[in-house]
Amino acid sequence: MNKFFTKNFSITFFIFIPIIFLWHPSWLGLFGIQPYWPLFWLLPWSMINGSINGLIFGFFLGLILDSVSLESNFTQIPGLVLCGFWFGRIRIHVDILVEHFRYGLVCSLGSFLCGSLYFLQILSKNFSDSAFLLFIPSFQNILAEVFLTGLFAPLICSQLLRIFKLSREKHGNKFRKE
Amino acid sequence: MLDIRRISSSRWWHKKKNWIIFGILLFLAFARISKGSIYKDFYYFVSRPFWPGQFQNEIILESIDQEYLIKLNLLKKDNIRLRELLYLQESTNNNAITAAVISRKTGGWWRQIILNKGSKDGVQIGSIVMGPGGLLGRVNNTSLFTSSVKLLTSPESKIGVWVDRIEMSGLLIGSGDDYPNLILYSKDADIKVGDFVSSSPASTLLPPNLPIGIVKSIDKQFKAETTAKILLLAKPQVIDWVQILKVKINE
Repeated sequence: MNKFFTKNFSITFFIFIPIIFLWHPSWLGLFGIQPYWPLFWLLPWSMINGSINGLIFGFFLGLILDSVSLESNFTQIPGLVLCGFWFGRIRIHVDILVEHFRYGLVCSLGSFLCGSLYFLQILSKNFSDSAFLLFIPSFQNILAEVFLTGLFAPLICSQLLRIFKLSREKHGNKFRKE
Repeated sequence: MLDIRRISSSRWWHKKKNWIIFGILLFLAFARISKGSIYKDFYYFVSRPFWPGQFQNEIILESIDQEYLIKLNLLKKDNIRLRELLYLQESTNNNAITAAVISRKTGGWWRQIILNKGSKDGVQIGSIVMGPGGLLGRVNNTSLFTSSVKLLTSPESKIGVWVDRIEMSGLLIGSGDDYPNLILYSKDADIKVGDFVSSSPASTLLPPNLPIGIVKSIDKQFKAETTAKILLLAKPQVIDWVQILKVKINE
């Protein structure tokens, strides 16, 4: 069992995403809002494994996170699927400094995409009873989430990418490099 | 001649002592007729520095609290009896389960708490969750050992509420921030900042008269609605222990 987890670091970290999503450490938050944790895993994993794998695992992540959160009318799947597909098309850059900044930027944009899609679902659900205007101020959730995701992404994504690459190299799989 | 002078000087009104006695009698008569009011007023000023202080005040307030508690219990009993007569929902229920908050998502879009009591402990979907201060939300999902509570601030939360001062029902909608919105379906609703909001007697989801919050601000009125932001009495961000009420709702 231990050997399985050391071989498959990516799977081990995948299991931890819903746990950290539920844990919701307040000391890492801003106005009670957290970074969008699944993107930190999805970005390095899709960069190594490509768009189709990114899309599939984006879907899986969405399914799991939807099941641990209570909202039955809204889903995180579309955002994560699109992000998974997009992240798979991003190539690994040689310059480490540029790469770090790029992680921050890409994760911020991904977080904005996921947040906006979720927000649009809430608005469209409440559009009929004219209460949707009351939800407009909660747009700040997206902004705070985008900021935090962009802030933590360079640190977390670079480390996860390094771990996933090492794990993959050990088992004979070549990853794509520009 | 000398004897006559002596007689005239010995009349009673010439004696000071007699006048003093007369004055005292007059004062006593006044005191009797005024029922001692002059004494009481005098005592008021004299005793003022020795009036009951802080300690006495605390004792009195404690007694008042006890009095209110007794009255509250009597009213609760009356309420239950009258509701039974009218076949209405129960407003109180002693079947409460105390649970600890083990996960807390109170920011962003997903607003929920997870408790350490689940279906094993008898928690059911739809149970009411109360924190210190008032209503927190309803149990939306249970596992064997845990139960998930959808908070009133969640964008999916919609419950019927009652504004006591204006005696009007409204709808409390979570909007993804810390202050859920109250919608009153009347443009002329006389709602004011500080009005108390409780669960609606007409709600099919909640028992009546559960404290929820107070009106924080009133938004602009549009169409035929009045909207207001509600400050919740129970703070899910800081609460560590809650009570799950197993309330039987007559649908």
